[in-house]
Order: sequence, then C-alpha cells, then structure tokens
Amino acid sequence: MFSFLFKKERQVELLIYEYLDTFKLTYESFSNAMNFCFLNEISCENFEFYIKQTHKYENKITDISDEINSVMYTKALIPDSRGDIMTLLSEFDIISRLFKDILHMMQVQKLVVPGFIIQETKELVRISVECCELLTKQSIALFTNTSGIRELLSLIDTYESHCDNLERRIISMIIDSDIDWFGKLQLKELIERIGNISDGAERVSKRINIFSLKRRV
Amino acid sequence: MFSLLGGVFMGWALGANDAANVFGTAVSSKMLKFRTAAILAAIFVILGAVFSGRAGIETIQNLTNFDLHQAVISSVAAAITVTIMTAFSLPISTSQSVVGSIIGISIINRQVNFDGMGKVVACWFGTPVGCAIIAIILYKLLSVIYNRFKPNMFESDSIIRAGMIVAGSFGAYALGANNVANVTAVFVGSGTLSVFNAALIGGLSIAFGIITNGRHLMENIGKKLVKLDPFSALVVLLAVGITIHIYSIIGVPVSSSQAIIGGVLGVGIIRGVNTIKIKMLFNILIGWFLTPFVACFFALAIEFIVHLHYIPHQ
Repeated sequence: MFSFLFKKERQVELLIYEYLDTFKLTYESFSNAMNFCFLNEISCENFEFYIKQTHKYENKITDISDEINSVMYTKALIPDSRGDIMTLLSEFDIISRLFKDILHMMQVQKLVVPGFIIQETKELVRISVECCELLTKQSIALFTNTSGIRELLSLIDTYESHCDNLERRIISMIIDSDIDWFGKLQLKELIERIGNISDGAERVSKRINIFSLKRRV
Repeated sequence: MFSLLGGVFMGWALGANDAANVFGTAVSSKMLKFRTAAILAAIFVILGAVFSGRAGIETIQNLTNFDLHQAVISSVAAAITVTIMTAFSLPISTSQSVVGSIIGISIINRQVNFDGMGKVVACWFGTPVGCAIIAIILYKLLSVIYNRFKPNMFESDSIIRAGMIVAGSFGAYALGANNVANVTAVFVGSGTLSVFNAALIGGLSIAFGIITNGRHLMENIGKKLVKLDPFSALVVLLAVGITIHIYSIIGVPVSSSQAIIGGVLGVGIIRGVNTIKIKMLFNILIGWFLTPFVACFFALAIEFIVHLHYIPHQ
C-alpha cells in the first residue's frame, strides 16, 4: 500500500533477484563448460563460448553488486541489512570468481583431465554446482523470510563433506598415477579449486543462517 | 523578559540533550537525515508542549510558592547541576535537577508540598521500571503481529524505518509535553508567565536547542542503541514515547534518558541478552541519587550568595 514511499528498497530487492539470477546463469555456464565440453574427452567447439559466457556473467554480477551497494548507501534499507547484504554479495562474488578462474586455468594451462579421474571429477563438479543451487534457494528464503534455512544449511554441509571426500580421493588417485609431477601438481590445483566452490557455498550458507537467526523476532 | 533567560537556556540544553533519546537511533544509523529529524522533533516538541504540557507545569508550580527572584535562582541552579553532571559523564535528568533546585527554594520558604514531592519522586522510580514493563509488553505484542504477517527483509526494513519516524515524532511530542515543565514552570509559579505562554516559550526553547545544538548528540548518542537489533530499537523508542506520554498525563516531568535505559533493559530481559553494562547501571544509580541533592545545594548556595550584603565597618 505504501510502496511508493520505499522505492529504493524495492529497487534493491529487484537488483538482488537479478543478481541471484545471474549467479545461477554463471554456475550453469560453468557446469556446461565442464560437463558438455571438458569432461567428455571430446573436442568441444563450444568451450571457448562457455568461458566467455561465464566471464560475461561474472562481470555482470560485479556490476550488479556495485549498483546494489550504491543504491543501499543512498539511504535504502537499515544499516544492519545493508551490512548483511554487502557481506553476502562479497561472498557470492568470491564463488563466481572461482568459476571463471577454474575455466581460465584450464584454458590457459591447456589442462586435460585424464580418464581415470573423469567420473569422480564430474561428480565433484555436479555436487559443487548443486551446493550453489541450494545456496541460491537459501538466499531467497532469507530475503523472503520463509522457513527452511536451517535445513538447507545442513544439506549444503552434507554435500560439502561429500565434496571434501571426493577431493581427497581424486588427489590421491592423481598422486598415485604415472603422470609427471608437473602435471600432477597442475591437476591437484585444479581439483582443489573445484573443491573450493563447495567450501565457499558452505561458508555463505552459515552466514545466511546467522543473518536469519539475527532477524528472528 | 531578561529573567526568562535562565529558563530558555535550560530549554536549549534540554532540547540538545533529550532529542537524541527520541531520534538518535534513526539519525545515528543514517536512516534519517539530521535536518529532517530536527525539523520533525522541533515541530512535535512545540505541539506537545502547547497541547499537553499543562499538567506538568501545574505540578511543578505547585511544589512551592516562588517569587520571580527565586524562579531565576531555581533555573540557574538546575542549569549548573546539569552542566556539572554532564562534565562528570553521569547520566543527567533535567527533571531531577529542576525538582532538586525547587526543593532548595522550598527549604528557604519553609513551605514544602510533600504530597506533590512524593508523587514526583515515586514517578522517578517508576520511569525506568514502567518503561521496561511497557517495552516487554510491546515486544511480545508486536512480535506476535510481526510473525503473523512475516514481512520479507525489504518490507520489514521499510516498516521499521517508517516506525522509527512515527515513534520518534511521538516521542518528541511526549518529550515536549512532559519536559516543558522543567523549563518554564517555575515562571508560572512566580506569576511571570501564564501556563500557555510558559508552554509556548518552553516548547520553542527546547526546539531551538534541538535545531542549533542537537546534531552532535543525535549522531553519536543514538549509537549506543544500535547494538540492539532494529526491531528491538523500534520497540524501545515506542516504549519511551508511551512512558513519557503517560507521565505527561499524570503531570510529572520525568527523564527520557532514564526511560530509554529502562526500555533497553526490558528488551534485554525478553531477549535474554545483556544490553547494559554493570558500570553503566552504577553510573545511572549515582546520577539518580546525586542530581536532586546537588541541585538543591546549588539553589541554597545561590540564594545565600545573592543575599550577602556588605556591611561597612563602623
């Protein structure tokens, strides 16, 4: 009824949903690059396209994040919420940068994932992306004040533990293989970076849970 | 008119100090510009003083019989007390210093209205306790409504922002209604001003204090409340407004600083968190006990000094 009085709040709300939509596009583009091109052991013409797309979405995320901050600091929302949203967005930015960095790393270093770890790596990517999907749902639950935040945290936590186990297993397989040591270190770094996605998702998820508890009346 | 300067000075100091209690949270957290808050506070303080200030003025003027000379002494003694207590960083209550100085005048006049004094002192104790109780009830009530409608984060922020503006304006109205008696009631007692003129001059001088000297305190003092979550801060502000307004109806000037401390304690009790430090409570207790005695002492001392006469050696 009084929405005309709070245009800036509404503007921030719309920008945040745009941000989350773009975040979703980023992890989907990353997932496509990894699954349809890289891990199928076939030469994929679209790999370059997905890298560019992921980069484009990552840039858009940064732009939206800047716009949200500038609208918030022209006196939209109460300071407590501004702080929470800024923290949340900067954590999301870190995850979206990881997508771009992983793809760039593979492109620049011309990395080839050997066949003996393809299944595990695919699984690692799938669960990491799923963590991001759950994270997006959890953020929406925080902004819309709906239930399920705690349950989503515990699900992300479980997925993150699973990712950690996979990461350790893949690294062991790499170290035990006949690949030269330089190649081993390159692959180890790649797997660790992929593992960082679920770690980041869990970190953000815990923050969202705290923000939600803080707002409980 | 010159004799009113003591009262106007008192109103100016009161406006600068106490407006922070009603709008400080909104301004220090940058939810509201100082200029907007100051204009709203000034308008509502004047309205409160003019429309609801009569009861408090009548209570204070009936505490003893004044002449103009004693009214000026009472104002000056109260103003000196406020200045000294502030210098020692003790929580001040202009109401207590005004009543303390009036007690000093009453002792000189040998004419103390014990019924009136009893009512005022009882209300001093009742202010923080009453505000704490009101804060607890309000928190329970508003949280039920809040949880029933479950507003999203953006709606919740908008509601809290709007609520703080409304609560601040209401608090300013209650402040004007309640505290105008501290500023000019003694001049009604001395027959210098009518009740309406006293309310108007008192309200204007408090408003003048808010606009010219309220900025620093509003931008800084309110920060002590920001440690509370926004919902609790809104509850505290509303509780302060309601408490002061109740005392305006009863006709006893009370301290908005003490009310806000009671409100913060009340919210702390209901949320199970420690909102006030022991040292701060200790300072508040010292302030409560010392203020009336110090003001009484200054009133007696000033009265004694102005009656000293030089007697030439024969």
